Amino acid sequence: MRQKTTLPEDMRCVVLIGIDFDGPSHEVGRGIAPLGKHSWGNYSARCGVPRHMDMLARHGIKGTFFVPGYDAERHPDTIAQIDQRGFEVAAHGYLHEAWELGLEEEETLLRKTDRILRDVLGKPVLGWRSPSGRKSDRTMAVLKSMGYIYDSSDKDYDRPYRLRFGKGAEDVIVELPNNTYSLDDFPFYKFSHTPPSEVLGQWKAEFDAIYGVDRFFVMSLHPRAGWGSGTPSRTRALSDLITYMKGHDGVQFMEYRAFAQWCQQHRDNLEEVSFA
Amino acid sequence: MNTYTWPQGARTVVLLTVNFDAETFDLKETAPERMFGRYSYGRYAVRAGFPRLRELLSRHGVPATFFVPGGDARRHPELVRELAADGHEIAARGVDLENFATLGDKESEVLASSRAILGDITGTAPVGFRAPGGELSSRTLGHLAAQGFLYDATFQDADHPYVFSVGGGKQQIVELPSNFALDDAPIYSARHTHARLQTIWRDEIQALHAESVLIPITLNLRGDFGSTRAARIAVLDTLLTEIKQLGDVRFMTCQQLAEHTLSLNLAAQPDPFLAHAETLARTEYRGDLAIKPL
Repeated sequence: MRQKTTLPEDMRCVVLIGIDFDGPSHEVGRGIAPLGKHSWGNYSARCGVPRHMDMLARHGIKGTFFVPGYDAERHPDTIAQIDQRGFEVAAHGYLHEAWELGLEEEETLLRKTDRILRDVLGKPVLGWRSPSGRKSDRTMAVLKSMGYIYDSSDKDYDRPYRLRFGKGAEDVIVELPNNTYSLDDFPFYKFSHTPPSEVLGQWKAEFDAIYGVDRFFVMSLHPRAGWGSGTPSRTRALSDLITYMKGHDGVQFMEYRAFAQWCQQHRDNLEEVSFA
Repeated sequence: MNTYTWPQGARTVVLLTVNFDAETFDLKETAPERMFGRYSYGRYAVRAGFPRLRELLSRHGVPATFFVPGGDARRHPELVRELAADGHEIAARGVDLENFATLGDKESEVLASSRAILGDITGTAPVGFRAPGGELSSRTLGHLAAQGFLYDATFQDADHPYVFSVGGGKQQIVELPSNFALDDAPIYSARHTHARLQTIWRDEIQALHAESVLIPITLNLRGDFGSTRAARIAVLDTLLTEIKQLGDVRFMTCQQLAEHTLSLNLAAQPDPFLAHAETLARTEYRGDLAIKPL
């Protein structure tokens, strides 16, 4: 099947590094105290996020941190630092709600997190990634009403597209689909206990295939301990992957918001799909 | 605030910790008269696993810290004494592998009892604790400090040891955080090969050493998900040899490292529960997030 979105020749391959902050919100939201073996989330602010920022800065590339509102409330300094160091902060639920939400509750939480992040950053938030990938046919309208320009939660395509969620001229948002099956650290480190060196091999193979076909590489990473990539071995695997990708012609590492803006400005390059 | 520094001359510190969990583990699943067949992996720990691991540690000349459930210590006091005589540390792990998150009012009593059992056997009260199953309650750290424990080794949230302020800021307890990837139980209980554990640990340990952060290794004694089968001991043998070759690595007991940590006068971290208490009080319990194959 031919995918209709096309990137111009000078955009040989776009790489979006997305880091889901996932602090203690992950456990607290499930009613679990972040103590003992449930304390992995504390690692994000303490070690994982600084290590990821240092690594990205060494490479001189951009990345986006998707932050649950609850974690931003508890670690406002870390969130402000992410922004000050030139990385994008985007939204990722309030208590990392990895369960189905009613429409009203969902809207309340989206607005609550947006307010928290805007207060910390002093600037608007432009994007969202669903915690656990759950969303409804109404979610995009709420995001759009808050001024968001993109979502990165859907799994239904290999390329960015314009997601039409209503009949109005403005009822469109940029969708930057991700792949939390194999371009994510969680399945390998939590589920299959794959050695970091083997995960690196897997991601290189993913990149090789994408570089030759869809030219749009979206990663979902986590700075927490346990199943995340915040620890030394796994940040090193990520760094080695970035070095590998940089060795290819025309690879552009972008923030999600900058690429979403590009998509807005080049709408003729993007397929539009209507769910209205 | 003082930053963390390793003892003079060490690039990093390795903690070899062993969860002794033997028959106590099987007794959580079955009755004493049914501790045969599939419920005899704990007996393997003490009959076959123990001497093999003890010999390996002694051959490498490295100290380890054994977290021994009181019930297992009562059944095998001579083994506990042998470990202590070898220079290994004996630390607490409850009595019957209780879940400390749900023990409620019995928590303090169980802790005191586990401390007394080990103290009676070795002649010295233990100073360290690791919660069975990694589960502790909002009050566990406070009980530990009140009963004279020096450290906990259950959290998994830092690259270096640190200090908690507990009991309303009046007491301190050292935290020696462990690492999910350097625990044999999750890997072997998922039926992965010995070679795979060796690769994971080699990757992890090299990177921890390169960044000069703590290398906390967790071993189990059991015949199912533990590291004491002959082929698994061979993996440990290789890894220990490789670790020594990394250079400037110091093997310490948890107590030694906890005492070193206290000597650094680090700024204490706040009680880890308080910031979340209010939210948890009104949050429904949904259980741990898990993914299963389709």
